[in-house]
Amino acid sequence: MRDTVLLLAMNGLIWGLIIALIALGLSVIFGLLDIINIAHGDFFMVGTVLAWFSLSVTGNFWIGFLVAPVIGFVLGAIIQRIVIQPIHGAAALSIVATFGLSLILQEIVRITFGATPRRMLAPIQGTIPLFGIDYEIYRLFAAAVALAALGGFFLFLQHTKLGIWMRAVRHDRDTAVAMGIPAKRVYVLTFGIGFALAAFGGAVAAPITTVDFRGGVDVLPFCFMAVIIGGLGNLPGTVAAAVLLSFLEGLIQSVADPTIARISSLVLMSAVLLLRPQGLFKGFVK
Amino acid sequence: MSEAVTSEPVLRTENLTKRFGGLVAVDDLSIAIAAGRVHAIIGPNGAGKTTFFNLVTGLLSPDSGRIFFRGRDITGYRPHVISRLGIKRTLQVKSVFPDLSVADNLWITRQARNRYLHAFRPAKADKETGLRVEETLEKIGLADLAARPAGTLSYGDVAMLEIGMAIISEPSLLLLDEPTCGMSPAETGRAVAKIREMARTIDLIIIEHDMDVVFGIADDITVLAQGAILASGGPAAIAEDERVREAYLGRPEDEDFMEEALNA
Amino acid sequence: MRRRALEIGMATAGAAFLVAVPWLIPALIDNFWVSVITEILIWSLFASSVNLLFGYVGLLSFGQALYFGFGMYGVALGIDHFGLSFWPAFGLGIVSAMAMALVSGVFAVRLSWHYFAIITVVFSLIFYFLAVSMKPLTGGDDGINFTLPPVVNFGGKVFSLTDPTLQYFFVLAVVSLCLFLMHRIINSPLGKGFLAIRDNDLRASLIGLNVYALRLIAFVMAGFLAGVSGALFAFFGRYASATYMFYQVSGEAVVWTIVGGAGTLFGPLVGTALFIVIREIVSSHWEHHSLIVGLLAILVVIFAPKGIVGLFNGWLSRLDERDAGQPAPRRLTLQAEP
Repeated sequence: MRDTVLLLAMNGLIWGLIIALIALGLSVIFGLLDIINIAHGDFFMVGTVLAWFSLSVTGNFWIGFLVAPVIGFVLGAIIQRIVIQPIHGAAALSIVATFGLSLILQEIVRITFGATPRRMLAPIQGTIPLFGIDYEIYRLFAAAVALAALGGFFLFLQHTKLGIWMRAVRHDRDTAVAMGIPAKRVYVLTFGIGFALAAFGGAVAAPITTVDFRGGVDVLPFCFMAVIIGGLGNLPGTVAAAVLLSFLEGLIQSVADPTIARISSLVLMSAVLLLRPQGLFKGFVK
Repeated sequence: MSEAVTSEPVLRTENLTKRFGGLVAVDDLSIAIAAGRVHAIIGPNGAGKTTFFNLVTGLLSPDSGRIFFRGRDITGYRPHVISRLGIKRTLQVKSVFPDLSVADNLWITRQARNRYLHAFRPAKADKETGLRVEETLEKIGLADLAARPAGTLSYGDVAMLEIGMAIISEPSLLLLDEPTCGMSPAETGRAVAKIREMARTIDLIIIEHDMDVVFGIADDITVLAQGAILASGGPAAIAEDERVREAYLGRPEDEDFMEEALNA
Repeated sequence: MRRRALEIGMATAGAAFLVAVPWLIPALIDNFWVSVITEILIWSLFASSVNLLFGYVGLLSFGQALYFGFGMYGVALGIDHFGLSFWPAFGLGIVSAMAMALVSGVFAVRLSWHYFAIITVVFSLIFYFLAVSMKPLTGGDDGINFTLPPVVNFGGKVFSLTDPTLQYFFVLAVVSLCLFLMHRIINSPLGKGFLAIRDNDLRASLIGLNVYALRLIAFVMAGFLAGVSGALFAFFGRYASATYMFYQVSGEAVVWTIVGGAGTLFGPLVGTALFIVIREIVSSHWEHHSLIVGLLAILVVIFAPKGIVGLFNGWLSRLDERDAGQPAPRRLTLQAEP
């Protein structure tokens, strides 16, 4: 019993780190472009599929870690330019556009990849003893990669020109434009980054989840939960929320139905939306 | 001017304070606005004039202090409740219902006074409202634009529509926030005429930057600076007040302007 | 006057067509398509619930499937579990949908529109998962089948609802009644109040409208429409399943509404008809019709955001103006049907 709890809790923790990456992508899109991106779960799914294709074409798993975010970035930038920009990011219309995008992505994957879910073998097989249970090495590795990526992203935001531009536009668009920051270009690149983060998350997660054209459907609500509970615009909060929620869900799963776990997270999310819409975590609102 | 000059001020605040973070927008403001007179509130940008209006109409809640409307404590009331008590206002950035026709803008403003909005009767069935709408359209000179969506109107026409909405709602107290902002001289003239007409039956408080307008129609003037009253009194007293000149105008060119305004 | 004539002409032609369907369609195409049209009518009512909120009040709800689900399960469980006959089951479905809309609306309509959209999804997801977890009762994703009481007592006469023609007319009657109600509401003072809130909710509160109360009323009305469509769906298919409470269902209805034309009375019907017909025609040859749905959604949003009926109304206005000798005003946003 204790072993199950430990296992599920650790799985939850690690999954939370990966989701944090994806949720960060959603947060920058939502925070900067004001878009509720229904397709974001599918960005993650595309990442898993890209990883699968890289592996089957080249035989090398690690290529996927490069292919997924790069292609994701390009796709995201293109989508922003040809779909989002023409509608000037108009509120409700962009929800419909991202919903349409979600359908398109799912179908394209279904056509190219097929409708049957597949599993990918982890590049690092085996387990090591940890806290008294045998834990999969790849999961630990995935957690480390996710952590590194999270750290890298925050460094990017603080120290690179684009990162600073993103924060400036997020904070006050008009002033940023007045200061000469090319807002339109920032939007294009931001959407690309959002896609890239989700796709990278997908590549990392591929061996521990199934590669399936419907794989994004489950991830989407979870990302939104992390963003809302963590606080819109509060990037560290989003990370904390993702990890915490996933960890809690893991714990609850050990004693109850996974559905119950999901319902409790959703109820928590509703409570936050209604009572404290700025999120549970204080932090630097970027 | 309205006939009855009661001793009860139409609007009174006690130690009204509102802060935004570290900034004190309205600072311990205690003001009494007499009934039956046109009261202008002037002051440099950021003096707290619009914040004051927002507090009175319930869009903001004060950090401390109380607001009294004809003796009744309305502190903390919600905007639509305050509106129903008879306080109406226009906004600094002209704000109407862009997708509704000009006529419908007036129509819904009138209907909003009712206790309930009927759900199943056709809107056209309400003759009384229809008549009022026609009357008001004539008064503000927008009768031939009645069917046009309000969002397609020129800026000046939108401002007139706002004034029309103010008239048709038959307010007890009307707050006008920079009613002539952005208007051409001709449009300003029209607006001022309408405002003078309204002043005969409605209590008015006006925020204005245009000194011509202020000194032309105001009976009482209050000067706000940094959220507090700098000076208040009749137009002549204000025009001569040194502190007002300094805080508000502060430049020699404006002195001449003040002279002109005094003699207007 | 050309516009009026055109509108009346089209309305009459449309009505005549709809009444003639059970005889016209089998003669022209196939019996099967009568049930497709029945389905279109039911789903168009669901889309109308989205339309009422979004097109007329400015609230985008992505979770109407929740109230559809309550209507659907109200009927299914009413018949299967409580042994109710037709009308009581119908009533149960509608009342439970409206009750759920009231309870969730009390909380939801307080929020600004981004968070409103999100919380409507969250509420519908919560109940979706609840339905899935209560599998013995609800059948989860697999659903439950139930037998319909074969008779409907209406004004003394007894009808058998297993007859597809009678089914069609029943659905047509209910949907027409609901659309008529919607038409009355839209053109009433309440409807104008809705439009005012949609256009400028700040101004609306300043002229004395209780924005919260009006939004809540609209939300419950939309819950009614969704609940009726869910109930009809249950009767029509004698089937209820949790899948229909998932956010994808809500999302499709939003797409149908916007493509058809939000803020117009018949927009949802046109949009729903378009997509379901495409689905039926395409899916027999190619299984990836969702691709077309997605593409259409994006194309419409970029090139014709007012939707089909919206475009049509715009064209009618220009006709009107040309007749009256005036240029039509340029608008870029949604326009309510006059």
